[in-house]
Amino acid sequence: MDDPSLLALVAVRVALAFAPVPETFKYDQQLSSPLTAYSRLREGIYLFDHGVDPYSGGSFRHSPLLLSLFSTALPLTRYTSPVLWTAADVLAAWALARIWRLRTGAKYTKRDKQVIALYLFNPYILLPSLALSTSSIENSLTLLSLMFASRGRASASLFVFAILIHISLPSLLLLVPILLLSISRPVSSLTVPHPFAGDPKGALPLLGEFLGYTALLSFASTLVCGNWSWIEKTWGAFITLPDLTPNPGLWWYFFTEMFDHFRPFFLLVFTVHLLIYIAPICIKFQHDMLYAVFLLVGILAVFKPYPTLSDPGLFISMFSLFPETYPYLRHPIVTGLIHLHASLLLPLFNSLWLRQGTGNANFFYASTLVFGMGNGAALLDAVWAGLRVAIGKLDDGYEVVQE
Amino acid sequence: MRWNICSKTSLLLAFHVATAFALHEQFDEDLHLRPLRDGKLLSRFSFTTLLKGATPRDPQLLSVDDEAQHYTLFPLALGQVLREHAVTELHLSLNAGRWNYEAWGYPDEPGVGTGAELWAWMGDSTQTSVDQRWQGLRNALAGLFCASLGHLDEQRTTSPSLTFQPEGSLPNFTYPHRLRHATLPSEHVCTENLTPFLKLLPCKSLSGIASLLNPHRMFDADWHGLGVHVRYREDAGVEVRLTFQAVFDPVRSSNDRRRDWSLRSTFDRSIERACPVAHSSKVRVELPHGPSPYSITPEPTGISDSVATYAVDASDEALDVALRWPTEGSFEYPNTSKVPPLTDVSVRRTLKGTSQAEAQLTLVITNNLPVQVSTGYLETMPWHLQFYLHTLKASVNGAARDDLVSILSYMPPVPHSRPALLQAVLTLPPSSTLHLTMDVLKPFLRYTEHQPDAQRGWDLPPAVLVPFAFGETASQNHTVSQPAGTIQGSLVRPRRIYTSILLVDLATPDFSMPYNVIILSCTLIALLFGSVFNCLTRKIAIARVGPTPTSAARQEDHTPAPEPQAQ
Repeated sequence: MDDPSLLALVAVRVALAFAPVPETFKYDQQLSSPLTAYSRLREGIYLFDHGVDPYSGGSFRHSPLLLSLFSTALPLTRYTSPVLWTAADVLAAWALARIWRLRTGAKYTKRDKQVIALYLFNPYILLPSLALSTSSIENSLTLLSLMFASRGRASASLFVFAILIHISLPSLLLLVPILLLSISRPVSSLTVPHPFAGDPKGALPLLGEFLGYTALLSFASTLVCGNWSWIEKTWGAFITLPDLTPNPGLWWYFFTEMFDHFRPFFLLVFTVHLLIYIAPICIKFQHDMLYAVFLLVGILAVFKPYPTLSDPGLFISMFSLFPETYPYLRHPIVTGLIHLHASLLLPLFNSLWLRQGTGNANFFYASTLVFGMGNGAALLDAVWAGLRVAIGKLDDGYEVVQE
Repeated sequence: MRWNICSKTSLLLAFHVATAFALHEQFDEDLHLRPLRDGKLLSRFSFTTLLKGATPRDPQLLSVDDEAQHYTLFPLALGQVLREHAVTELHLSLNAGRWNYEAWGYPDEPGVGTGAELWAWMGDSTQTSVDQRWQGLRNALAGLFCASLGHLDEQRTTSPSLTFQPEGSLPNFTYPHRLRHATLPSEHVCTENLTPFLKLLPCKSLSGIASLLNPHRMFDADWHGLGVHVRYREDAGVEVRLTFQAVFDPVRSSNDRRRDWSLRSTFDRSIERACPVAHSSKVRVELPHGPSPYSITPEPTGISDSVATYAVDASDEALDVALRWPTEGSFEYPNTSKVPPLTDVSVRRTLKGTSQAEAQLTLVITNNLPVQVSTGYLETMPWHLQFYLHTLKASVNGAARDDLVSILSYMPPVPHSRPALLQAVLTLPPSSTLHLTMDVLKPFLRYTEHQPDAQRGWDLPPAVLVPFAFGETASQNHTVSQPAGTIQGSLVRPRRIYTSILLVDLATPDFSMPYNVIILSCTLIALLFGSVFNCLTRKIAIARVGPTPTSAARQEDHTPAPEPQAQ
């Protein structure tokens, strides 16, 4: 971080954070979901400070950890918030660069700056951060936890991960690969698949440690709130989807239009569906746990209950860790075009529906479907490339097929 | 004529019989007419039945058989509802239109919020909870008055006990009393509500003042509303007061645009005969105090404090009160910018913003008095509009004055189940205007939660202001408002001021889409799920394609060529 060009990048980000952002950013539904919105966080802190239990209502769904942090140690003001959010992004970019160095095993590489710039100036990361969505904090916690796991510092990694789980429950998908990553090495072995190097039983004490941290944080949260209602309001929201505010994900319109008597069934299906991916991905990529984490981040970006643009943003920025797969992406141009298409349609149709009043909900729903398709295509590209890279370049007359 | 004498005799007989049975019941009726300064005529009917010596039912005794109820004058249908659910105090109002406080002043009946409003004080009990009885009560009243009071469910029920204090006394039961309050602004009062209302009166609309309640005219009024008020007076008993308020526009209905009115011109009826069981039956007319001379016919029974009183039971003739301004031609409306408002405080509440996701609520409150006024501010907002309290800003003349607002209590809303309750105290500097702004959030509803006319939007209940503390010099300057003690029963109630209701348009999904959405979303998920698992579960192998270089190689090709690599 001592490089002047890196300092320049950070300076630009700070300047952007203080630039006058459009008023519509504050409530934009693509940049912040009901669970990550800054205005709701401010409302919760206001209620907490005025002696009203913020979890007695239905609009505040942030973690008690954020509530206690921002109502005491780090007060949110016009000046501190942009700095804090930029700092979170810089921390995440630094962690990403550290992971990259650990992966290559070099102390310094030429791509460091690219990796950092790709994170800091990824529009999907930058815009939610300007809107002060707490998904920026989730991303930096994810990357920080991954960084510690890559360095083999399992305790630190699991503690950060426990905090992440408190803020965003669906990230629980990453638990198994992060446990396995912390007892293996993050170096790239995509080209040489082999069975899992370490002893998977070594992860069990770590799992216990993680549960301990989670219990500790839950207890601390309960002390902050004075009761257990925060569990239903924060974690419960990911499972019962009480707030149907539109977002770029697939859940909201599905459950807006759902018949009441089928709602519990489909909530169950959608939740369990997320869990299905853990085992196959971890088994198939047992030689490279970091890649398994990356793919599960991609799964979250598509299928998460309350996604914001930050979630696909993290997935796309993590692509920079795996340059060896680039030549083998299946349809990168198609994927890129779908993404471009969706990212233009999303704000346009959202505005047409909710602000101009000239479109209806189907417009925005259609654009979220396209966006889901784009993210799904990127995920498929990554899965394919991660497997395909093991075969390497082929001579003419040969082709890769699936049995 | 002969029939008339006969009927009068029989009525007289009936009266004697009734009084014999009804010694412990007393029925009073009263019509109060007040010409308003904008040429309109305010009429307020009040029918009071007092059940002497009765006490409300103790909810602890709900499991025990109730004492027998023998009512002669007291409305049995209502009495049974009150006993069944052990209600101590009840107020129901069904209003249509917006009460114009600036031009009409304070109403005689304070409950003038648009739509239906129901509030009740009930004793708590270990047997059946207050909420259970509240549900039973509103369903019973919905049936009794043919109104959609069943919609006043827990999504609209709050307990704003600071603003809605009991008007009577609360008996000393085992457990304390609780308040339940709900409003339904989209409810409209009409003739199907008036008919059951009239059935509760001892003389129906056959005689007495109630005979003026002609639905054709009442529901043609600029503003009209009916009310049911039950309270317990510790020294007297249980009192039921049925009220009907209406604001007529004689200027509109007269051919030469004069503001002259008479009972016949207003109600298309006159009072032909008195209600025989009424203990007292009075028509009171507030006499105008403008510069132009007026004449009132017939001669009033008495005049005091510029109120002319007619006793209905005293006259054998049909009573048709008329007030005329003989020297006046067509009515000239007063210039509203020159005459002072008739209330201490004027309030305007609006919802700004074009987005269907968020908006801004503004409240403009003007203190019309030259002294500082403290006023209670109550919002009982369904979850269809959610406050961002941290954005609440107060300003006077453009300067931020957040110190003028102090929030007493706030209960945040819970989507799909509970409304928000905000009780605050606003301090209004003398003769100035306070602007309150607050960002609000518009939630997104499930498609089954929308009303049938979803595009119309949702009516939101009025806010209520209660000015309660006036500055030092209030006693000299506090003459702007009209005396409130004109109400029968002479209980000075706190003056509630209702704001107009709001309409919020919430984003709607496409109601024809449920199957399409299920199909499209599930297709996408299945597509991605299938593709991912296709990649993960099948082995990747290399196959030779195209023409082989040599025929020898073709021979080898019979053996399986693929060379499994990746696991």
